Order: sequence, then C-alpha cells, then structure tokens
Amino acid sequence: MSMTLRHHPVLGGKAALRLKDVTLEALPEGHVLQLLAAAPEAGPGLRERIGDSDLRPLAPGQWLLIGNAPLTPEDLTGLEERLKPVADIVDQSHGRVRIALSGPAARAVLAKGTAVNLDAAAFPVGHAAQTLIGHIGAHLARTGEDSFELTVLRGFAESLWDDLAQMAAEFA
Amino acid sequence: MASLIACPHCGRRPKEEFTVKGAALARPEPQAGADAWFDHVYLRDNPRGPYQEFWHHTSGCRRWLVVTRDTATHEVEEARDAALWNRETAR
Ligand SMILES: [Zn+2]
Repeated sequence: MSMTLRHHPVLGGKAALRLKDVTLEALPEGHVLQLLAAAPEAGPGLRERIGDSDLRPLAPGQWLLIGNAPLTPEDLTGLEERLKPVADIVDQSHGRVRIALSGPAARAVLAKGTAVNLDAAAFPVGHAAQTLIGHIGAHLARTGEDSFELTVLRGFAESLWDDLAQMAAEFA
Repeated sequence: MASLIACPHCGRRPKEEFTVKGAALARPEPQAGADAWFDHVYLRDNPRGPYQEFWHHTSGCRRWLVVTRDTATHEVEEARDAALWNRETAR
C-alpha cells in the first residue's frame, strides 16, 4: 500500500493579522538550516557558498540559513558539499516555523516579550538573536527598519502567534 | 543586579533566559578517592560575598558561562564563556 506524505503548514489556517500599526504574517515553510562551524570566525567564508538564502547568526559558530523555497534532497546535498570545508548542516525545516512582524509598532510589540535591546543602533537590520518572547524561545531577526522575523519551534508556533496577536492588540 | 547577566556573546539578558548549575569547581581526578569526590559532589562553602557559578544561557546562545557574583549584594562582577574560563584556570 502506498502512502503519500502531505505537508500541513502549522500556521496555514491563519490569515495575516493586519492592524493599524502592526502586521502579523505566517511565512512560507521553506527551509531553515542550522549551520555549525568548528571555528566561530567562519562566518565570512559561509556567505559565498550559500546562494540566495538568508544567513542569520544564532550562537558562536552557529547560523540559521533561511529561505521561502523548500529544498529538494538534491539542493540540500549540493549545499552540504559546498559548505563542507567550513560548516555542517542540520536541517531544521520540519521543526521550525517563521512569523513576520512589521509596521511602526512592531518593535513596541516585541519589547513586551524580550529584554533584547531593539534600538536600531544596538540591533540594526541584519542582526539576529536567540531569546525568549515571554515564555517561548524564539530566534529574532531584524529584516528591515520596521520589520522582524521570528523563527520558533513548530510545536510552539500557534502559542507564539496567539501571544503576539494579544501583544499587538493595543495597536489596532 | 543579578537579574541581568551580561552574556559575553549575547549582551545583557534577564536571568529567566539562564539555567544555574551551581558552584564552578575544579573536578577531582577520577582516582582521587571517595572523600575528595564526596566533597566535590556534596560540600559547598555557601560564602557571603563573591561566588563563581556555572550558568547556561539556555534560551540564548546555549553556551555555558562562569558567572562571578556577590551573594550578598547580587552584584555581577563578570560573566565569561566557560571554555575560555576553563582554559585559563586549568592546571
Ligand atoms: Zn548568550
């Protein structure tokens, strides 16, 4: 008997929440790869090997490689080959989900949940950090002046979404 | 204040992001004997003043740190990566 595996996006049923000063959006479940390098200073050597995906710092010697398109097994093998001299890949695409938060109040919403200093001088565009949003661990990246992305464990995605919606409610 | 720990990798973060393991002590040799191991596992000085502990930045970079704090004032003197601390204090 053959069985087809079907992909159900965990936040697939959520329509974007568009309030006056902040918008909450579930992002496509493309790829989230964890990169581990033996040398923390490997960062610059990674960029030229990764193509169009977004490279975000996670911890010393670790990065998340993120993009909207799902990767085929061949894509992944190719990437592994190119990265081999500098870093190893652990595919987290099945286990992490991304949420985008944008608008003039995005920073104020996040500040309710994390102690990370989100001032543009301390947390500029391209910056990222693993932190707690309330009680939920999440990876926070600034993708624009007023836009952020949260990457969260799949099982916590709906709870985080509900928390963010509540934190954003005053900006309706 | 001990409520904010300055992680050398992540900057100042609230204590809720960390897990405290306890006193940062040098480990005895495997053959050091029952007394030395009993001491290492169970006996603590509980000082009033500066104290070194292992803290894990569980909800951040997930690195082990050695935090030096004052048990009376809660002042944090420094927080270092445990690998670095280990290299510098070892033997
Ligand atoms: Zn840290």
